[in-house]
Amino acid sequence: MMFDCFKKFFEYSIIFFFILTLNFFIPRLMPGDPFTFLSSDEGGVHQSYSEEQIEMYKAYYGMDKPLQVQYSDYFKNLIRGNLGYSIYYNDNVLRLILRSAKWTLGITLISLLISTIMGTILGSLSAWYRNSIVDRGLYPVMILLSEIPAFLMAILLLFTLAAKSSLFPLSGGITVFGEYETWFDKLLDVLHHGFLPSLSLTLSQLGGFYLLARNSMITVISKDYMRTALAKGLSSKRIILRHGLRNSILPIITRVFMSLGSVLGGAILVENVFNYPGLGRLMREAVTVRDYVLIQGIFLVVAFLVLAMNLLADVLYKKIDPRVG
Amino acid sequence: MSKIVAIKRFTLVGKLSLFFIVLLLFIGIFAPCLSSYTHNTPSGESLEAPSRDHLLGTDDLGIDLLSQIFYGARLSLIIGFSTSILAGLGGAILGVLSGYYGGLTDKIIMRLTDIMIALPDLPMMILLGAFFGPSIKNIVLVLVLFSWTGPARIIRSKVISIKKEAYIVMAKSYDASFYHLLKTHFLPEIMPILAITTIKITSRAIVAEAGLSFLGLGDPTSKSWGLILNHAINFKGIYFTEYWKWWVIAPLFSMMMLILSISYVSRDLEKVLNEKL
Amino acid sequence: MKKILKLLSLIVVFTLILSGCSQKAQNSEGSSSMEEGSSPEELEESTKDESVEVEATSKTEPLTLNLEGGDWGYPTPYAHYARGPGIYKMKLIFDSMMETGEEGLIPFLAEKWDIEDSGRSYTFYIRKGVQWHDGEALSAEDIKFSFDYYKEYPPVMDDLARSKKDYIEEINVIDKYTLNIKIKSPDATLLERFGTARIIPKHIWEKVEDPLKFQGPEAVIGSGPYKLADYSKEQGAYKFEAFRDYWGYKPAAATLRFIPVSDPILAFENADIDIVAITPDILSKYQEDPSYKIVESPAFWGYRILLNMEARPELKEKALRQAIAYGIDRDELIDKVARGAAKIASPGFLPIEHSFYNDNIKKYDFNLEKSRSLLDGKEYEFSLLTGNSNAEVRIAELIKLNFEKIGIKLRITSLDMKSRDAAIKSGEYELVLNGHGLWGTDPDKLRIFYNSEFQETPGYLNEEIDALSNEQLVCTYPQKRKEIIFELQEVIAEEIPMLTLYNTSGFTVYRPEKYDGWTHVFNHHEITHNKISYLIME
Repeated sequence: MMFDCFKKFFEYSIIFFFILTLNFFIPRLMPGDPFTFLSSDEGGVHQSYSEEQIEMYKAYYGMDKPLQVQYSDYFKNLIRGNLGYSIYYNDNVLRLILRSAKWTLGITLISLLISTIMGTILGSLSAWYRNSIVDRGLYPVMILLSEIPAFLMAILLLFTLAAKSSLFPLSGGITVFGEYETWFDKLLDVLHHGFLPSLSLTLSQLGGFYLLARNSMITVISKDYMRTALAKGLSSKRIILRHGLRNSILPIITRVFMSLGSVLGGAILVENVFNYPGLGRLMREAVTVRDYVLIQGIFLVVAFLVLAMNLLADVLYKKIDPRVG
Repeated sequence: MSKIVAIKRFTLVGKLSLFFIVLLLFIGIFAPCLSSYTHNTPSGESLEAPSRDHLLGTDDLGIDLLSQIFYGARLSLIIGFSTSILAGLGGAILGVLSGYYGGLTDKIIMRLTDIMIALPDLPMMILLGAFFGPSIKNIVLVLVLFSWTGPARIIRSKVISIKKEAYIVMAKSYDASFYHLLKTHFLPEIMPILAITTIKITSRAIVAEAGLSFLGLGDPTSKSWGLILNHAINFKGIYFTEYWKWWVIAPLFSMMMLILSISYVSRDLEKVLNEKL
Repeated sequence: MKKILKLLSLIVVFTLILSGCSQKAQNSEGSSSMEEGSSPEELEESTKDESVEVEATSKTEPLTLNLEGGDWGYPTPYAHYARGPGIYKMKLIFDSMMETGEEGLIPFLAEKWDIEDSGRSYTFYIRKGVQWHDGEALSAEDIKFSFDYYKEYPPVMDDLARSKKDYIEEINVIDKYTLNIKIKSPDATLLERFGTARIIPKHIWEKVEDPLKFQGPEAVIGSGPYKLADYSKEQGAYKFEAFRDYWGYKPAAATLRFIPVSDPILAFENADIDIVAITPDILSKYQEDPSYKIVESPAFWGYRILLNMEARPELKEKALRQAIAYGIDRDELIDKVARGAAKIASPGFLPIEHSFYNDNIKKYDFNLEKSRSLLDGKEYEFSLLTGNSNAEVRIAELIKLNFEKIGIKLRITSLDMKSRDAAIKSGEYELVLNGHGLWGTDPDKLRIFYNSEFQETPGYLNEEIDALSNEQLVCTYPQKRKEIIFELQEVIAEEIPMLTLYNTSGFTVYRPEKYDGWTHVFNHHEITHNKISYLIME
């Protein structure tokens, strides 16, 4: 068991090292550098750096050194926990990422949580009352939801609920310079801004969890011990809770961890629809301005999160279900 | 013959979906002949509301939206199908090799799939998309890079399970060649599973391309549905005018319809094939 | 089961804390950092100030102006982003010896100046009684210090550009309020460059060795009319407050707020922001209503196509270039892509509203006949590189359609902005479309864009253009210089080494009832990007 965990950890470390290396080279091989500005968006004005300025900045960020030196510097800094200093934003990368990450994690975790709980409950109900009106009504709707990508859902919500009716703000994470009487008002404001982004993500995840819960519940119900429990005359509520959920929760938990990657992917697009101040928007900015250091940092954090969750899912799966492995 | 039987056993929604996909395929192929306007030259006033002349209205340049949607269908399908065919084929080949030969080959290929699965795909695609430069060809390449793992893993486990079966072991002992085994025994068993996984890749690829185009990282000259959405949403004052009612809704719904249709077809296909097995 | 429930509830709590408290944490961080910088005396002073303000403004509410936000960096000369909105926010805090006004440069920190020794000696007389935001007095020492500091550490807006090849012989502080700069050779662009270089306080920056990382309340102490009161990077929000001890023109607003909006027009409708740029499509909505005022911007932002004559030597033929110029329907581009809000760009580059614009030059109206006769039956194929913005792709498409009619095939390739810029720099293109601002600044741009020394058009050499553009640079007699530049435009228009397409004008709407002081300066298209719009000018 211990050895297994260690082996898994080792495997993931190798993958992580691979990602780190990829992460170093890809932005540097991309055409364009962060200091050449020759054009601007329509109506915008830019300041072109002179050759001398570009040289100075390259030296300042250590980009005048040969690639292998930069590569070893990169690892040395990583070990010290130093993700570097953003070129475009002129700020510490780790600080930048942490500032944005809390918004992204906020909407992803909330929507994961809600979609898991709702999906499990609805899925179990559907399975228990299979072929009833509830099931027949829910099933097609959920299939529909499970297929629609989050960002299309977000655009739809943006136009129907935010743009015309102004029920919800069009953008941002909080009212700027808002003055609040209590922390509760502030929380409400944050929730108000985060509602539509979270809703889009929730809806796109809900279908998947529902179908999973429904399927595993149906499998569990048809198992022998459930039939026995039923025959014993236990109330159906208790059976669902005690036996059904307990046995069907395993694949759901695993999926929660495994789906973090795709939810984060969805969040990147959704944030760009709602101009939500999270990692997704930061990433898009960083790519358009070729801020190597920041691109590396964001990608590293995202990859690390996803890998950690996958590892956790692996370990948890083994722990909960000793039959595996 | 068996395929037609399979379709007969589809649900009503499945049949409708299949019909829709075929219709889109038809539209995609004959896009230039179907619409009286072209998809890249202005044919009316800017931002005309839907009318008899322009069934879905026009965009900011006065280009007919219906013909853009038609042409976009072609692009979406090209991207979807070429990705799924390439990824399916590549994945299947690697899966068969991995499953049949085992050993080091298997180890290397499986570690590769581990890495690909662990990589967060959208951030990676954004990075690679920006790196390779935006063109349909490159987008398909990037998508293939992230899609071959699914079929590879499934085919591998299938091949391993077939390999253990008695008649294969027997055939092998008679010195049957790999190609012979592949043709007579593996392929018939693999094909149905491959079909289902590749169909799923198709819709994923279409969504991914739309997402990249929406972020402004797609091919700006391609006129795909995602790009129409990108143009519309970035139009100043789009929230403020009535333009969104045709300019945003048309590509949005076309894309949703296509994605849903593909998913219903793959669901029904899976069901029918599972019953058969 | 219990374990899982525990885990789930943990996640709930964690999430709530995360999203709820994140803002609180950040806000307190911002405000505390602001307080840290102010010494006890300062705090005392600021309370005193407030009481003064209450007296002065007891009749009218202090004005708060709201503008579109977005993150443009910390507004120091080193940390703001190299884009318009970042530049002017920094300028609100940091004054310079001169500022751009409606007609030309107007004196700010320098009351007057003399240029002697046929343009080799500049003497600036500095205004007395100017205070830094922290109460220290500003003197000629600060200006000398700033110029020397910029030599060692070039700022983002490095107009002085003295780090590599220093053209300044010496800078002398003659007395506390007089400064003399001696230069090696005369240069007509220098006065503006000296005048608009931002002045930073010596007593703060002399200790700073890494100006890029120097951020915080001390770093934004300037002598300008506004002080930074709050800044949130991830939200893209700024708050500026008027500097009450400002030396001269009164700050027009007590508070300036830059708030992020997703759709500026909608935000303007809701009165969240007070001024907005609008597209011609919705112009009519505001035209009828007297509570709005619409201004058209001078057309100083434009698109041009560069020709790479190294990659395609046939472009060295003047006839081909002229044929191409006749084959572009600029009116159609303006109509369809710019939605009417643009002016045809002058083939001599300087836009129509430029004070050096020469109208008496060769024009290239859309004329397919002329184009065909110039081409004389020859056919060509070129690739045209564009950025990935909607407008650029569409311009390219429309040009392509007309070129087909004269027998020139265009292959359009499109890259994102950064890759396109890199391609321009390395010369990896045949034709490239590029859009940028600042067409209204000093006409020395003609030298940078057309003189063979700079290779803006790779492989192009015209001795007449080279000579004229070098001559205007050293000519310190304004009238003579203008004549040279007029002649230069004639030659450029005839030669047409690059294709200018159109200059966008664009419209801005605001509510005059709230604030009516918005003013365009002579060389910039954005009404909000200059200092005098935020000051009450007598």
